[in-house]
Amino acid sequence: MSRAKLQGLGIDLPLFPVTSVGSFPKPDFLVKARGDFAKKKISRGALEKAERQATEFWIRTQEELGVDVLVDGEMYRGDMVAYFAEHIAGFEEGGLVRSYGNRYYHKPIITGEVHWEEPVTVEWWKYARGLTSKPLKGMLTGPYTVMDWSFIEYYPDRRTACLALAKEIRKEVEALIGEGARIIQIDEPAISVRPEELPVAVEAMHMVTDGLPAYFITHICYGAFENIYPSMLDLPVDNFDLEMSNSGLDMLELFKKHRYTKDISFGLVDVHTHVVEDERVVEERLRQALATLPEEAIWVDPDCGLKTRTVEEAIAKMQCVVTAAKALRAVTSDE
Amino acid sequence: MDLKLCNHSSYPRIGDDAEHQLLRRTIAQRDKGEATDDAVRAAQNRMTDLALAEQAEADLDLVTDGQIRWADPISHLAGKLAGVRINGLLRFFDTNCYFRQPVLHGKLERTGPLLLEEFNYAQGKSARPVKAVLTGPYTLTRHSVEEDGGTGGFDKVLEGYTAALAAEVAALAAAGATMIQVEEPALLRHPDDFPYLEHSITALAMSKASAQLALVFYFGDPAPLYDHLQTLPVDLLGFDFTYNPSLVDRIASNGTARTLALGLVDGRNTRLEDPAVIARQLEKLAYGADLSYAFLSPSCGLEYLPRDRAGQKLRHLAAIRKTFLGSTA
Repeated sequence: MSRAKLQGLGIDLPLFPVTSVGSFPKPDFLVKARGDFAKKKISRGALEKAERQATEFWIRTQEELGVDVLVDGEMYRGDMVAYFAEHIAGFEEGGLVRSYGNRYYHKPIITGEVHWEEPVTVEWWKYARGLTSKPLKGMLTGPYTVMDWSFIEYYPDRRTACLALAKEIRKEVEALIGEGARIIQIDEPAISVRPEELPVAVEAMHMVTDGLPAYFITHICYGAFENIYPSMLDLPVDNFDLEMSNSGLDMLELFKKHRYTKDISFGLVDVHTHVVEDERVVEERLRQALATLPEEAIWVDPDCGLKTRTVEEAIAKMQCVVTAAKALRAVTSDE
Repeated sequence: MDLKLCNHSSYPRIGDDAEHQLLRRTIAQRDKGEATDDAVRAAQNRMTDLALAEQAEADLDLVTDGQIRWADPISHLAGKLAGVRINGLLRFFDTNCYFRQPVLHGKLERTGPLLLEEFNYAQGKSARPVKAVLTGPYTLTRHSVEEDGGTGGFDKVLEGYTAALAAEVAALAAAGATMIQVEEPALLRHPDDFPYLEHSITALAMSKASAQLALVFYFGDPAPLYDHLQTLPVDLLGFDFTYNPSLVDRIASNGTARTLALGLVDGRNTRLEDPAVIARQLEKLAYGADLSYAFLSPSCGLEYLPRDRAGQKLRHLAAIRKTFLGSTA
């Protein structure tokens, strides 16, 4: 683990730090408030009050569970790309398109030059930070994914659009760091889908992170990792947060063929099933990770954001992750 | 000269107003135990009706049912076969759409029709011919995984899917389908597997009776395989032109022995093409292909676009044809 870097940033973490990928399900009262706001039955202020209440609920819940590096739960977001598109100039909201099954999202359209005008997530980070003494991640969507998950009408090609976004997203990273964020996660779930464009994603990530004093994590999921590994290690981040359980831990085979050189946030539970895993199954997944990766490099979390699960399922899945981490910490300290 | 217009395959099953959210709403209610499977089927029928109406409004010569009932391009077919269970989500090519992966645990077997009911419904509701659309055996095989490697390996799996889909092609042809489209985008990622595809598509061609068989590729550049594809026993070849602009020149110089479906209109981006630019591409293509028999179409299924933009793209086909025919008159 980049312990030295973390300690240099003033952060001391236990073995197998427990975190989560970012989103948690919205409690019923917030779902209702969002619906009422969409129907113009309540004001934006009333909606924000519900969002703050929900954020506090998830901060308290993570603390009670024993999570080590917290997230704000993204109670104020709908979709991970659309949210940023709504707050960065140059986008228009597109209509609904399908993500999977019966899930849909508003896919943004880049219709003008993108421009960061003011902080997007910083106020929420500050609010959540004020609720806990534990480390709290700053959470952003990366330039490659924002580009890939938007329609591009303004820019002539994908690379130009991606680099323009990188320049603006760096400003958000700087704003977070300016307020004290020291662990920043830049989600790039789209990065594995066009292996030929990985150099563009790497170039963009350099533009976002180079020279900035933070521990950087990137989350990647549901792609053909075999097409971008080991080249993806060129991304200038400290930690890859990877969906591992949904794909049967098959990334471990790739790590055996070519040494994995970064920290990892190892996805221990599948987020796309209502079934809550047996704790022994989750613990065994962590043991398998330990057979291939150095213990100092391993963080643990769910495969992806938990927003599609119920509140009860999300808590139960997080509990499984915490239990597995504690069990293996105990074993490791006994050895 | 004429140039026919067709839809590619899928069409959005949702829109931004309440009417177009009927299916999403009903499925969500069913999942909570508040609606029945019959209610979902009625909502699917209604959304199919709307998709057909919008295609008719765009004056297409050949329409589809919009694949409104499909959960995704893989599990909708594979999940109906014996020997398959459906597992976790994986990304579908380079899109932001996900499919559920088939896990093969026994002998693949078609125990009943896969698409017949859907096809019959759409054809019964449409005054225009409805194209039946199937994800091909090779692409289904590439997106499946064997449980404990116990189902015989790649060859056996492909053989199983091929037999199942050949029976479905025969059933669709018997039901009156005049055009059956088989989609094999996965081959473009594995061009060395052409012999596998040749074998399976030949089996499907033997089952098509008097229907026309279309073999369609998207999400990649077909140019490296173009000459091989021309040798296959199909009536129509369909291509996505958005991955390689020089494909137009390739076809113009090499010609074609098959009717072509020309995916010149980008089904993945909202930007509307300049009709004059597409018309110039068509003029070039006319050197290598008799466009009187060709179809102008989107490059891929339209469910990757919001409904309003998908409709625009379909209506844009007619505007492009008008520009092209005007320029060649």
